Amino acid sequence: MNHYLYDGTPEGLVSAIASILDSGDDPEQTVLAVQQNTLFEEGMLLRTDSALAEALFERLRLRAPDAVQTLWYFTMAETTELETSLLRYIALAFEHGDRVNGYLTHASVKAVVATARKAGRELHRMKGLLRFEQLRDGTWLARMEPDCNVIQPLARHFSRRLRAQEWFIYDAGRHSAAHWDGHALSFGTLEQFSRPELSAEEEAVQQLWQTFFKTIAIPERKNPRLQKSNMPAKYWKYLTEKQGE
Amino acid sequence: MGGRGALHSLPLFRLSSYIRCMELQEKITILSGAARYDASCASSGSNREGSAGGTGNTSQGGICHSWADDGRCISLLKILLSNDCRYDCAYCVNRSSNPVPRASFTAREVVDLTMEFYRRNYIEGLFLSSAVNVSPDHTMEAMVRVAEILRNEECFGGYIHLKIIPGSSPELVRRAGLVADRISVNIELPSSESLHRLAPQKKKEAILAPMKLIGAEAGVSLVERRKSRNAPRFAPAGQSTQMIIGASPETDLQILRLSQGLYRKMNLKRVYYSAFVPVNSDNRLPVLAAPPLLREHRLYQADWLLRFYGFSPEEILSDDAPNLDESFDPKTAWALRHPEFFPVEVNRASYATLLRVPGIGVVSAKRIIAARRFAPVTHEGMKKIGVVMKRAKYFITCSGRPFDKLDQQPARLRQSLLIGDGSEPKVPRQLVLPGMG
Repeated sequence: MNHYLYDGTPEGLVSAIASILDSGDDPEQTVLAVQQNTLFEEGMLLRTDSALAEALFERLRLRAPDAVQTLWYFTMAETTELETSLLRYIALAFEHGDRVNGYLTHASVKAVVATARKAGRELHRMKGLLRFEQLRDGTWLARMEPDCNVIQPLARHFSRRLRAQEWFIYDAGRHSAAHWDGHALSFGTLEQFSRPELSAEEEAVQQLWQTFFKTIAIPERKNPRLQKSNMPAKYWKYLTEKQGE
Repeated sequence: MGGRGALHSLPLFRLSSYIRCMELQEKITILSGAARYDASCASSGSNREGSAGGTGNTSQGGICHSWADDGRCISLLKILLSNDCRYDCAYCVNRSSNPVPRASFTAREVVDLTMEFYRRNYIEGLFLSSAVNVSPDHTMEAMVRVAEILRNEECFGGYIHLKIIPGSSPELVRRAGLVADRISVNIELPSSESLHRLAPQKKKEAILAPMKLIGAEAGVSLVERRKSRNAPRFAPAGQSTQMIIGASPETDLQILRLSQGLYRKMNLKRVYYSAFVPVNSDNRLPVLAAPPLLREHRLYQADWLLRFYGFSPEEILSDDAPNLDESFDPKTAWALRHPEFFPVEVNRASYATLLRVPGIGVVSAKRIIAARRFAPVTHEGMKKIGVVMKRAKYFITCSGRPFDKLDQQPARLRQSLLIGDGSEPKVPRQLVLPGMG
């Protein structure tokens, strides 16, 4: 086995993968991990080279556009400890092109595709579960704490959907925010956050929604387990209809 | 319309008082409570870009926004315009002889609720149905007007599902199709005899005529749109219907044959099955301890086999055994009756053959075919692909190798499938609605 280390940044990871692929080492016989600076750490540190990372992306985009898409979702999941799988997945993507995503019987492909799917699933979920509240100044705010870093594609979704209102999406776990001003999207971070005052009507509309939510269920079919498996409790914190449970 | 600022005015609440809100709360309670027995909640099948100044678009795959206490997905504001009904259908909570509180929304109230809920991302859009009071046309006209106000005045680009009132004029059905994404006529009961018995004021012809018209209009619109991109869309997400299961004596075979006919001849997108919930006492109705949820679940599974797995109703059921097995899903039941078909060799079998294996669905069949191009698929590989091995293992070989040493004696096989491999007994009452997609 060849052992390599990188600095732990996303760019460092892609750049390390690029240099291993260039070195001619067999990816199936190579292990890549984050440098921990422990005494007995084994392996050679690969220096981060952003030009190298950029070039790898461009080559992969031409060879296997679906794999680039998978890679994009994979990074949203912010997983650590799958560097070796990612290295082998990208090597296979260069070898087989977009067919690589069908090679699910390969452990590394399976791990990368499953991780990417997890992020994709949560993005889809948040498109439904995100709740906007109207603030006193007439703008709208949605708060969330997703496992994956989905704010960018999520904000793009709402920029097409709720384009006639000015809104913010705030990821409370990552302190990151998206802003739509009615014309353009921007992203940033918020270190200090306090929830602004709500508009006068907001509470009344929320109550109407809570009433609807309660009465739309058929009492004879009550099924809290099914409800929870479709809508895990970790998302309830910001759900208007689940306040006070 | 155009020229709206970024900040919307709130017509509903500008004049609002506490009383106004209480009144709305009450209307929502009555009119969503009355709409909840309609199973359809899909918001899929339509793909509309929002307009520049408007609010809302639709997403091809549909989006669920919440899950109610019964576990069913909430995607649309599902509501009746009115529950004040002149019909007296035995099974319906809104029947005229039922002493329930009655209410009606104004068009503006439904429009404002839809917009306010949509802006907060509670919903994908509106599902509007109604009881019939003055006449079918009177009600249908009021419903179509709600949708037209949403589209034309509010520039609403989200999803709209309109129920078609049986007996509405063709002109109103056409107007509905031009503003809604999906329209549906409920067939209510699986045979005209049952319809006659339980809903004597509804006529089979009044239900089938608009269904046929919708199918024809949708076909014309498709042809027109091929010629010109600007030709109007007619109900782009297609039409669906719903029938009540367990209020009348039809067998599952009769029901599946009816569904197959609706899919083939009327070009329906979906048939929904709604387990009969006894909301009235009426000596024409059966007395049930609980809604037949398991039967409803099995019917959805069988419906899937018709639409995506290439099964015919006669393969699933026969005149000798006209009802679905409660213990086994319909595909497993078919497999148990056809030992000669198995084992299937997963590294050679065609897509259609793989689909016949219990535990292999549409997704995993496609994945098997993609994966075996790289290397033969092993038992371990089948698990990675996502095949439900606790069912599939009895019916497959991987490169000639069966899973362990399996006793494939039919009686023993039945037993193993029911209770697993001796560990904990499997509970067959796993009630998930696959019907919400």
